Amino acid sequence: MSGYKETATHDSCFRPGSTLCPGCMESVAFQNLGRVTDNGVKTIFTIGTSCGEVSTLAYPNVVAWGRGDAPPEMFGKSFSIIHNVFESAPTLAEAVRDVSDVLTGCGALERPVQVVAMSGDGGAFAIGLRGLLHTIYRRSRITMMVLVNEFFANTGFQYSPAATPFSDTSTTPAGKAIPGNMQKPLDYVHLAMAAGADLVAQISPAYGKLFVKTMEKSLSLKGTAVVFVPAPCISGWKYDDGQTLELALLGARCGIFPTFVWERGQGGSVKDCPREATERPRIEEFLGMQRRFAHLVERDRETGAIRARAGQEAHLENLRGWVQENVERLYALGELKK
Amino acid sequence: MNSRDVAPQPLLNITPSGARYESVIDLERARAAHLPLHTERTEITADGNTAAAIASLQMWRCMIYPGFPITPSTKWIETVAAYVASTPGTPKRVKLLEAEHAVADYMVGAAAACRDLIFVTATSSVGLDHMTETTRSLGASGLGNVMIINVYRATANFPLCIEGDPSDTLAHRDDGFIQIVARGKQQIYDTVLQAPCLGMHPDVLTPTMPGYYGIKSSHRNARLVLEPDAAIGAFQDRWMAPCPLPGLINGDTAFGNCVTSRYFQGFKVAQKRRLERALELLPQVGADFERTFGRPGLAFFDAVGWPEKGEVDLAVVSMGPDFGTFEALRDAWAREHGMSVAGLAIRLLTPFPREAVREKLRRARAVLVVNQAHHAGRGHLTLDVADALNGLPVVPPIVSAFAGIGGADVSEATWEAMLDSGRRSLAGETLPPYQVFHEGRSL
Ligand SMILES: Cc1ncc(C[n+]2csc(CCOP(=O)(O)OP(=O)(O)O)c2C)c(N)n1
Ligand code: SF4
Repeated sequence: MSGYKETATHDSCFRPGSTLCPGCMESVAFQNLGRVTDNGVKTIFTIGTSCGEVSTLAYPNVVAWGRGDAPPEMFGKSFSIIHNVFESAPTLAEAVRDVSDVLTGCGALERPVQVVAMSGDGGAFAIGLRGLLHTIYRRSRITMMVLVNEFFANTGFQYSPAATPFSDTSTTPAGKAIPGNMQKPLDYVHLAMAAGADLVAQISPAYGKLFVKTMEKSLSLKGTAVVFVPAPCISGWKYDDGQTLELALLGARCGIFPTFVWERGQGGSVKDCPREATERPRIEEFLGMQRRFAHLVERDRETGAIRARAGQEAHLENLRGWVQENVERLYALGELKK
Repeated sequence: MNSRDVAPQPLLNITPSGARYESVIDLERARAAHLPLHTERTEITADGNTAAAIASLQMWRCMIYPGFPITPSTKWIETVAAYVASTPGTPKRVKLLEAEHAVADYMVGAAAACRDLIFVTATSSVGLDHMTETTRSLGASGLGNVMIINVYRATANFPLCIEGDPSDTLAHRDDGFIQIVARGKQQIYDTVLQAPCLGMHPDVLTPTMPGYYGIKSSHRNARLVLEPDAAIGAFQDRWMAPCPLPGLINGDTAFGNCVTSRYFQGFKVAQKRRLERALELLPQVGADFERTFGRPGLAFFDAVGWPEKGEVDLAVVSMGPDFGTFEALRDAWAREHGMSVAGLAIRLLTPFPREAVREKLRRARAVLVVNQAHHAGRGHLTLDVADALNGLPVVPPIVSAFAGIGGADVSEATWEAMLDSGRRSLAGETLPPYQVFHEGRSL
């Protein structure tokens, strides 16, 4: 494994030319993963229909992927990518892995290949949950990166099963009768562990070193690695320019999407997110930066503190309760060895 | 040999689809790893699914078999699995997925990973429907190394019917696959061996969907001649040069990009042209097969009873094994009624061989089309035939019949009743737009 600083000098397979929103966390994740995969091994990505796909693979725009102008003998720099449908990135990746294994098995392919599947949370947890879990269950030697922006962003910020309770989405709009999304998020971390993944992590690229290390580890495994990447979405979460990393850190620290890394046989741990709520930043800080929670919280003009809007106190308490549950659940999952 | 005598191998080819690394995959190793099932011509008795499975297993380019069971195609994957389980040292693998959608997705990834291997599965009815989202992508993908063997079974589960009518394959006419109908075990076996030659041709690059009727063809036994694997390999090699386009493993490439309407039509035109090129190549593949193995190869249709020249009174157009009943009674019925009767059993369904069908049917005074699948109007085949005849100076009247829906028996009496409708039309009687026949009468 190379050091963080050295990885930063690698040639990323995520190239200029994407039309992702400026400030989109997905591009930070792509950039980092792009560098980690510049490790001398041929790289193949599969990607589901999502912001990340339509913004990087739109014809006749330049394909925002590839590893530059390496000479042909440097096959280790070779890069390919495939999109099929919304939900199929894991299955496609599994197929690519199997074909390379079978070719390797009969001596027809001597060079190693690394395969990464990328989906949004809609692709992974809604329409594609079956495919995701079965590919994990079959122990396919691939890395999956799920970009969790808590929406179907590409189609206009509709509810996804990862949406934070009470968030305003275009299909769970906050109104006088219903205060946004009333559903608790799917426990995708636990599902991935139970399905048989060898490594399961929830980690933002805002934790640069750990993100790179986790990705490197994922690529080196013999089994399936699943990395959930909380992905603040400037357009859907509705926050100000320049706040993407801050929100990513705050969301992790306050317990909305704590950083968590788990390996089969070794167990795991929650990082940078104490179990005690009093030791964590208040969730109001996280909520207050985004207009998708504007129906729930507001800034006190006098003190500047974020607080529940009048009449929303119970909902905020409810959300606080879920966050505590979420943190404790991850601590408990960390205890599991297999 | 002096190293200078060896022409330098290009390491990298740049194609419109990206760069292709020439020597990364050594296909000869894959070929060498194949364990032949037969080293000489062998005769067995087999059902249709077994015939299709053996053909799939004899191709060295088939190394991974993705599948999901559904009646009546299940025995295909069971046969493949039984072979793999009982053959130590085989590089072949069975891949059991969680659903047909996943099977189709898997074939996209696999076929794109290596464009020189063939990925084949078998399915039926709602299994094919379940794949639809991805079969539509596959049809447009340029991945001619995908083959879905469709064992025809009625679609829809209200009511559920597990017997064979071609409503599944006919509902997928626009998926973009080359759809070939086979009847009889030998034709099933031969078709599976030839279909990828067509699909993987560099001008065609279109996936194929050979098919045969569930139960009637899939489950009944007949004599079958199997060719040696080496001869099959040599025949296929003549049609399957290494794909000139990069795959995911041996290339720097991007598949499945998105486009706006401004460009979409261009892709569709190219897809249509590739599909239509199959019309030129299919007879060539078929002729080469016949020269090689001494049996008729791929054709647009099986033609029976057509004189060298001149007219016939009544032409019958249909497909599948029930055509055999018509073949058996044709002569006697024609003599009894003092008419000349000929027939076409359609083999190439998509792209429909319009020109060839027209050239035959222009010689008929009336045409009886027998459809076997539910259709919103006069019948899928009827519309294709009407389209083929369109523009002729004199268009023969078309009598549209339905029979054998849901795999029902099409008895001799039913055939006679349908032929009688053709006769009445010829006599100037006006018939309804379509009639449904069963057990010797119009319902
Ligand atoms: C079968 C199917 N249904 C619906 C869609 C429409 N669709 C395209 S992308 C998308 C949402 C993608 O959401 P997600 O996976 O979370 O990725 P994001 O856009 O948020 O990055 C939807 C609903 C589709 N492409 N296919
Ligand atoms: S809408 Fe959100 S997820 Fe999509 S590109 Fe913009 S910031 Fe990224």
